[in-house]
Amino acid sequence: MSDLLTCVGLERSFGDLKAVQGVSFSVAVGETYGLLGPNGAGKTTCISMIAGLLDPDAGEVTVAGQAMGPRASAAKNDVGLVPQELAIYPDLSARENLDFFARLYGLDTARRKRRVDEVLEVIGLTDRAGDRAGTYSGGMKRRLNIGIGMLHEPKLLILDEPTVGVDPQSRNAILESVETLATDGMGVLYTTHYMEEAERLCDRIGIIDQGTLVAEGTRRELVGMIGEQDVVRLKTVGDVQAAEAACAVVEGVSSTDVEEDTVVCLVDEAAPRLPALLAAVGATDADVSGVEVREPDIEDVFLHLTGKALRD
Amino acid sequence: MLRAATVILRKDLRLRLRDRSVLLFAFVIPLALTFVFSQLFPTQEDFELTAGVVDLDGDDVAAGFTQGVVAALVDDGLVDATTFEDEAGARAAVEDGDIAAAWILPAGFSADVSAGDGGEIRVLVNPDRALSAEVARGIADGYRAELDRISLVVATSATAAQGALSGSQLEEIAELAVAQAPAVSTTELIAPDQQLDPTSYLAAGMAVFFLFFTVTFGITGFLEERQQGTLQRLLAAPIGIGTVHLGKAMGAFVLGIVSMTVLAIASATMLDASWGDPVGVAVLIVAGVISALGVMAFVGSFARTAEQAGNLQSIVALVFGLAGGVFFPIGAGTLGQLALVSPHGWFLRGLGDLVGSDSWTAVLPATAALVAFGVVFAVPGALRMRRETA
Ligand SMILES: Nc1ncnc2c1ncn2[C@@H]1O[C@H](COP(=O)(O)OP(=O)(O)OP(=O)(O)O)[C@@H](O)[C@H]1O
Ligand SMILES: [Mg+2]
Repeated sequence: MSDLLTCVGLERSFGDLKAVQGVSFSVAVGETYGLLGPNGAGKTTCISMIAGLLDPDAGEVTVAGQAMGPRASAAKNDVGLVPQELAIYPDLSARENLDFFARLYGLDTARRKRRVDEVLEVIGLTDRAGDRAGTYSGGMKRRLNIGIGMLHEPKLLILDEPTVGVDPQSRNAILESVETLATDGMGVLYTTHYMEEAERLCDRIGIIDQGTLVAEGTRRELVGMIGEQDVVRLKTVGDVQAAEAACAVVEGVSSTDVEEDTVVCLVDEAAPRLPALLAAVGATDADVSGVEVREPDIEDVFLHLTGKALRD
Repeated sequence: MLRAATVILRKDLRLRLRDRSVLLFAFVIPLALTFVFSQLFPTQEDFELTAGVVDLDGDDVAAGFTQGVVAALVDDGLVDATTFEDEAGARAAVEDGDIAAAWILPAGFSADVSAGDGGEIRVLVNPDRALSAEVARGIADGYRAELDRISLVVATSATAAQGALSGSQLEEIAELAVAQAPAVSTTELIAPDQQLDPTSYLAAGMAVFFLFFTVTFGITGFLEERQQGTLQRLLAAPIGIGTVHLGKAMGAFVLGIVSMTVLAIASATMLDASWGDPVGVAVLIVAGVISALGVMAFVGSFARTAEQAGNLQSIVALVFGLAGGVFFPIGAGTLGQLALVSPHGWFLRGLGDLVGSDSWTAVLPATAALVAFGVVFAVPGALRMRRETA
């Protein structure tokens, strides 16, 4: 069996809150898998269970054939974790941070030195390797955070929203290094709420909302789920909520949502429905100031499946 | 487990060395305070008890006190004694502040003691002069305790002889015993746990006081890891939470030992202090660090953040320090007993025992108490932390 990671029926509650309920998926060797979901969907909770930081209430995680858990040393050795929040020592330099974790993972001296240099190169911090990490820019800290996760060459690298709060340039650098690792055969589990990142990096994407995996597949498969539909975006002036309500009842519209001043409608076919949509908005206090029609993407799939936008 | 814990320990020590506050707490402040306080504090040579003696008894057991014990203390320069004819005269002198205390040996004292029938030395004190009062009581109690020991000897001999001894023979034995034993040594009387000279006492007191702050870096270090997210990272590595705790405890232990050792040596070379026999001191230091670790781990387990832990621990360190007499030496009385609810008190007492003896094994009772303190607190502390992070 070529599955690197298997999760079966993962469940976890915090008090009354069911953060994760019945999540099952698997990641094949060398595959990049994306968990895409909005804030609070349960991505980090899933990842904590997969990395052996948190015991699931139910279900199990297997990494390279070994059961994962807080005391599963062998399984943990096969996983590299890049936590969502920065997890570096600000009073140590990048080199000292890497060296410490390399020792913790038990790398022998030769390999440790080689890996620290290699990783510094990959994350582009060779020049600043001796400076205290606390003095780095936000992007540099993020890159160090990622570097520590890949240091011991795990079979599975888990990145939890690694690009949050990063400028476009650093973000691109991060995405590129993830692509490189994937090409080198590392399995990657990548969580994000940026559709573009998931589409660019991932072989397969799992859509997670309110603790449940609502859909899973390649980009093409996911978009195919909403069939031959079109997306109509109506930019409005005035009461956008009223405009949405009006659009929702127009024939052929399967779901609607509001993004700032724009009403997003998923319709069976754009051309014949447009006049009715415009008329519907015209009947409210709002006016249409711009119209856009396009092919659906994963964000629209999310809208279709959950009735809300990925980002709010 | 030990390998990974050592890796964590090395990392922490490196961080601590970069963090000046540790150096300040562990080395600089205790030394500086010792120096300042030792300038303020009267040395033992300066202390003299001015006391009155009223002998209403006039018999031999009373003489054992007035001419034996008190005379010896006068010779040592520790007591300035004045004889009064009656209690009223002594009382007036105490009230006027001419003397700090007076011993009254009531009529029939010798007879009562010989009859095994009580016999108390009454002590008049001036409550404003607490230290003198304490010392005067200590001297009287010491003599009484010695007399009790003697009557026990007499009683035992009497029993052993199965009544074969006559009353006058018994009396002779008693007299012999009294004569043989001016017994109560002066140092013991001054207060059993103050045998260190004041500078050494202060240096050791400051050192153990700040030890309780120094070891908190282990616990706050753990909470910091949690706050800055690195704990997750440690736990994602193939090590358990126990290894992290072990690493932190080892770090605090090393820091505590180094700090105490440096302070013992520095106060000896710079301030002329002496903590006593090095072996005994080393044993006590290790035990002291264990007690500090245990107590502070327990306190730290109630905190969510490093800051909270720091505050809680400061309070506990201060209370224990005060109770244990690190700021001012506490006498042998009730306060002296109170000091033993605190590891600080035990540590200082251990050093006192060490000075009063010629074998390092004199520290063993205090060592046992300190280790017990450490264990009694550490176990629930560790359980609490384990549950917290599970
Ligand atoms: N330790 C915890 N205690 C209580 N509630 C928690 C805990 N961790 C997570 N939760 C709750 O569980 C839910 C899922 O949180 P989780 O962090 O897994 O979401 P996420 O998908 O990672 O979100 P984000 O994109 O914001 O990081 C949230 O409602 C969160 O408040
Ligand atoms: Mg998250």
